[in-house]
Amino acid sequence: MKKKLVSVLLTAALTCSLCAGCGSSGSDGGNSAASGDGGSSETASDDAGSTEASSDDGAADTGSKDGEYDLTLYTINSTDADFNDWLANVEGATGLKINVIAAPTDSDTRQQKITTILSTGDTSVDVLEINDEMSASFKNSGWLEGLNDTVMTEDIRDEFPQGYVADMITDKNGQIVGVPGYSGYLAFWVNQEIMDEAGITSIDTKEEFVAYLEAASGDGRYGYGGSWEKTYVFNEIAQFVNMFGGDYLDWTNPANKEAMEFIHEMVEKGYTPIDQIADKYEQMNPKFNDGKYGSLFMWGLGTDYAQADMLGEDKIHMTMVPQFSDKRYIFTDSWSYVLNTASQNKEAAIKFLQYMASEEGMKANYEAFDRYPARKDVAEKVVPDTDPAKEIYSRYANECVVKGRPMLPQTMEFISAMGTIFQSYVKDEITVDEFCAKAQEYVETYNN
Amino acid sequence: MIDKKSLQWIAWVLILPVLLLRGFTTIYPVIKTVFNSFYDIRILSGVNEFAGISNYLNVFKDQKVITTLKFTGIFVVVSMFFHIILGVGLALILNMKFKGRRFLRTIVLIPWAMPSVVIGMAGKWAFNNDYGLINDFVRRFHPDFQLNWLINTGSARAAVISLDLWKDLPFFAILVLSGLQFISSDIYEAAKVDGANAVKSFFYITLPLIMRNVLTLCIPFTLWRLTGFDLVYSMTSGGPGEDTSLIAYRITMEAFTNLNVGYAAALAVLLFLVMAAFSWFNMRFMSRFED
Repeated sequence: MKKKLVSVLLTAALTCSLCAGCGSSGSDGGNSAASGDGGSSETASDDAGSTEASSDDGAADTGSKDGEYDLTLYTINSTDADFNDWLANVEGATGLKINVIAAPTDSDTRQQKITTILSTGDTSVDVLEINDEMSASFKNSGWLEGLNDTVMTEDIRDEFPQGYVADMITDKNGQIVGVPGYSGYLAFWVNQEIMDEAGITSIDTKEEFVAYLEAASGDGRYGYGGSWEKTYVFNEIAQFVNMFGGDYLDWTNPANKEAMEFIHEMVEKGYTPIDQIADKYEQMNPKFNDGKYGSLFMWGLGTDYAQADMLGEDKIHMTMVPQFSDKRYIFTDSWSYVLNTASQNKEAAIKFLQYMASEEGMKANYEAFDRYPARKDVAEKVVPDTDPAKEIYSRYANECVVKGRPMLPQTMEFISAMGTIFQSYVKDEITVDEFCAKAQEYVETYNN
Repeated sequence: MIDKKSLQWIAWVLILPVLLLRGFTTIYPVIKTVFNSFYDIRILSGVNEFAGISNYLNVFKDQKVITTLKFTGIFVVVSMFFHIILGVGLALILNMKFKGRRFLRTIVLIPWAMPSVVIGMAGKWAFNNDYGLINDFVRRFHPDFQLNWLINTGSARAAVISLDLWKDLPFFAILVLSGLQFISSDIYEAAKVDGANAVKSFFYITLPLIMRNVLTLCIPFTLWRLTGFDLVYSMTSGGPGEDTSLIAYRITMEAFTNLNVGYAAALAVLLFLVMAAFSWFNMRFMSRFED
């Protein structure tokens, strides 16, 4: 009997403590993001290393820490060596205390996390960095706050790449929903050592490009390399379609077919390997560094090549995109800072975004992450003439038709479907006509 | 004297928190998933309307899902076949008496202890034509060997299945081993006296005595294969095309990447039914086997 009594008492105590825990949690959760007070901290904002460790657990990790911060930032940059300096800079300049959540490095996982945060109205994250794929999917969903009157005001709006802003981050009501964190190009990269060895001095036209492919290919080396994994190859298909003067969203356009046949021919003639249909950038870049590829299209300023000591005018470097048709075409991209509509710290978030859109904010991004400033006036001032990217980026801006990548609202589904039929086409499982017919069908399916 | 039955309410009160928690985390999602499967919910398009059974009908028209179902079937059958054959073989080896047996029993479990995502990422590199350790090994015997495993349907599927086996086979073997250890050595000695050789002993003593154990293991191992997701997610992303996409991977993609929640729910319900049917058949088979 005594044992029973003790058991009942212990159980009652346990139940009470459980209920107390539930109640406490519930009340905290109710105002955690809004009030900005209370709670305890597990991860210090200046400890990017520890935030990375918690990245895969997503936004929920920060629930108990809201009290100590003015806003929570979901970022892709926390693994950068200079992230802590950047954060200190931003916090110092804005007077904000920023909680950092590291986004997963895997693109699929990252997109799933961000989609979940935004679609569920999660209030634990205020500002997020999203890429073009996510912008295209989310900009008309109502999940992102319009910034026309607060951040992307008329005085600075024109300094951003106009085509990009209009195509990628403006919603159906004309509201700009993001602040581009940098300006990037799908640049044309060549290996100068291979060019010299092949005796090629210029790759300015389609004929010169083909001549380079022919001269550089052989003995396990390919004139052109890519990453043709089904969700990555989209960039290259779109780039070649662009170069041939086609329209990625109209597969009845004969130039599209011509572009596809050109890519297929590159595989057939051994100018580019079929093996790369399993490759993402992490497989492609080492091959480029190892001299397996003579040229490729790639985003960024060549960090991977620099780390392998392969970046330089005499090694791997950017060059002008060859002109295949009437004009030169190039894609631009960015990761944009966006404000979660469900955020309960909008005032702080807007302050943060205003800083990111300012000259100082862009400069901080450039210095910490080597991200080329999205604002052309800032780029002119901040980027030194010694930066090799400055000249080529300036040429891209002035000599090419700069476009945002063609994306549909059902972005990832469309990209993946196109990648799948592309892989079938280059493996000769379907004909070019079947590919174009299917591609057109996908455009119509995913454009609503 | 207190009537035990009259105190049963205390037991119910004590387990009530768990029941509530379980109800909220398991039963509610299951009901909600079934409910959603009858709706066309496409979050990115802002669509949320009753669709009847159209999600279920679309499953059988969707080429991506058909390819996925094919590979899921192949994956489960081939992987389980080798789990049983090689798992029993490995268990027999681990049951032998030799020096270093304990050490081997310990290290054999290392692949199983590693997270599938890590193994998948490592697998992506291991099967790479240029940098992979598999081809590096093969080239020691055939220097001209060239094969990028992950670009062709057959080889990519073989790579995924072999990696799955590499990871989970040792665990299966260790569990079979536990069954082997219950077989008394007296039985083998008696059989030996009666003139039975090792092969006969295996087929007439070992196999019948571990069969129930193996069949029991087949239930969770098959269900794990059916719900397998992380290996493919990190190794092939379902590629080339959709050729190595597993049903759980497709559900995740539809639900969390494409945000086609209704369609993903229909796929999940179908998977649930397949798993329930499989478990039922397996248990029926086991009870017949016992009889």
